[in-house]
Amino acid sequence: MEKRTIVAVVVFAIVAVFFFFSIFLIHPFGKPGQVNMDDHIIANTQNETGTNNGVTSTVFDYRGFDTLGEATILFTAVAGVLMIFRRVK
Amino acid sequence: MSGMSKIVKTSVNILFPLTMIFGLYVIAHGHLTPGGGFQGGAIVASGCAMIVVAYGSKWVFKQINEKRLSTFESIGGVGFITVALLGLVFSTVFFGNFLAGSNLLFGTTPATGSTGADFNTGGVLPLMNFAVGVKVIAGLFVIVLVMAYASSVKEWDT
Amino acid sequence: MGMEFLIANIIVLILTVVASLVAVLLRDLLAAAVAMAAMSLLLSLEFFILQAPDVAIAEAGVGACLSTAIVIIAIKGTKRTEDE
Repeated sequence: MEKRTIVAVVVFAIVAVFFFFSIFLIHPFGKPGQVNMDDHIIANTQNETGTNNGVTSTVFDYRGFDTLGEATILFTAVAGVLMIFRRVK
Repeated sequence: MSGMSKIVKTSVNILFPLTMIFGLYVIAHGHLTPGGGFQGGAIVASGCAMIVVAYGSKWVFKQINEKRLSTFESIGGVGFITVALLGLVFSTVFFGNFLAGSNLLFGTTPATGSTGADFNTGGVLPLMNFAVGVKVIAGLFVIVLVMAYASSVKEWDT
Repeated sequence: MGMEFLIANIIVLILTVVASLVAVLLRDLLAAAVAMAAMSLLLSLEFFILQAPDVAIAEAGVGACLSTAIVIIAIKGTKRTEDE
């Protein structure tokens, strides 16, 4: 057996063991572990941001910096594509 | 990638306005229904990619070039950051929602609990949805268009 | 969580895994791209079953349409079949 195959099998076994034991740590569906921030957003999103959609108010208002980072990622992707496929003179 | 057959072009001619209306609806009602700027922009860019597939990228390049689309994307990004900085000016924090509850544009506050949808709510969220929508439409469409055009020609110049 | 909810969940997840296995095992890259689009669409359906319509719309738009278009454009620029 080659050396690379042995290393791959050992790494796969370690990762599989970690994934298998993390199954028992998953909380049940619909019951999050920490509920303080969720309860605050659900209770106050209509008064504070004035909208009925809690997801949009979270994305654009409570967590605006994440959306700014997402916009930066898209801008960087477009800049990279336009740089690779630029017009060759 | 040159144009495809007449059947494909006719199908795209029928489907394109419906896709545009659905995507712009998702962007405009981002603060009321599921969706928002990114999702609606992805739908509109999918419709534009359909046009690229059916009519060929050379034909699309005659209508709009990639510099203009890149400008649109920059306009969307600058508008997004401008709205966020206006929150710093008129409110106290970055990304502050200064229009909510002010009875100005989009300033109505809905009653707490399960209420009907009112379009004139949300504060700065509809403005941010429009900015991100323009940004995502131009960004995703320019990626597909430039890749299609660059793979259809060998050495592409002007 | 009702029983029919669980059954729909299991069926959609098994179909997702089957579609991704087909996408890995196929030698024809164009067919693999179509299988990947089917996998993305089934994943979008799974998100919708799990009551996340925002993520479902984004996955259906970006994963099933735009990324497939980009992959097909890249295949058109290179070769269609995978080397052994």
